[in-house]
Amino acid sequence: MGIERVGTSDVEAVRRVLGGDTDAYATLVARYRDRLARYAVHMLGNREDAEEALQDAFVRAYRSLERCDDAARFGAWLYGILVNRCRTTGARAAKRGRVFVRDEAALNGVAHASAAEQTEGEDVVRWALGRLTTEYREAFLLKHVEDLEYEEMARLTGASVSALKMRVKRAREQLQAILREAERV
Amino acid sequence: MFEPDEELIGRVVRQLRRPVTVDAGLDARVMEQVRRLPPRRAGGAAHAAWGWLTRPRTVPFLPLGALTVAAVFVAVVLWRPDRPSRPASMSEFGFVVVAPRATTVSLVGDFNDWDAARTPMQRVRKDESVWTAVIPLTPGRYRYAFLVDGVRWLADPAAPAARDDEYGAPSSVVTVGGS
Repeated sequence: MGIERVGTSDVEAVRRVLGGDTDAYATLVARYRDRLARYAVHMLGNREDAEEALQDAFVRAYRSLERCDDAARFGAWLYGILVNRCRTTGARAAKRGRVFVRDEAALNGVAHASAAEQTEGEDVVRWALGRLTTEYREAFLLKHVEDLEYEEMARLTGASVSALKMRVKRAREQLQAILREAERV
Repeated sequence: MFEPDEELIGRVVRQLRRPVTVDAGLDARVMEQVRRLPPRRAGGAAHAAWGWLTRPRTVPFLPLGALTVAAVFVAVVLWRPDRPSRPASMSEFGFVVVAPRATTVSLVGDFNDWDAARTPMQRVRKDESVWTAVIPLTPGRYRYAFLVDGVRWLADPAAPAARDDEYGAPSSVVTVGGS
């Protein structure tokens, strides 16, 4: 899968925005909002911070659209901006002491696959995810939830492929340990 | 009894892959914010020029020449007191870069939307290898870089590197404090 699902429609929208048609940007916002929101909510742990990071990423992308030198990869480029915004927002949240708090409202719109898997199970997963370091959580989400290749992850994060593989491996190990421990309690 | 590790991770991933929706008003807030920004200059020429300027190219590489160029790029950021006509919170900053072989140098950054045409740097007459630009900045954190001859991105070696540069080009950071 990956994040390059865009085609000519992205190219056309970017071309129109660069040509002065600001309203064309709404198409791109609507197209990428939900997918980027998933990453931001899981990365930051609450909807308020996620929306702040998401809005900031969209506005920054608009302001810097001339620097997106391949409009067909607008989605990947935007994703990179969001990854950095989440880092900044997460660091700021950590400074003010709100680190990955639970936010039930963030899951209000979730389409639950089955009643048995929701509520408690989700809370435990999100709690476990929140106990990972920022780097491990970021690597795990990009690899396993967003389904990116390591090379793409390296471009987005600035980390090497080997470092990312290590982070994903450690994240998996820690998640397993945390969830096993939770099952014992 | 515990489930195998792969199943456990699979269950975690399935849960995390479910769609998450955010406030429906987010789109409107983004659009409201971008509409308040200065209008883009219509016309593909500027975009085409930007693409041409920033497109990676294969260029002949002469190690001695590269070392010489690298050795002379030294930059400093000079602070100048506010002018009376500026708002109290705004200070002027002089950006200086040494580029003896450059034909053009532009200062680009968050403060000018990374537009190479908006802040061309000027040669200092008494020393033609030195280029300067003075711009007013309000308190905040700004990323910036120098664009030499329209093709070479240079971070400021005298300033902190921007660690969160999401655009892929080297850049530096200047933080302007409040008064």
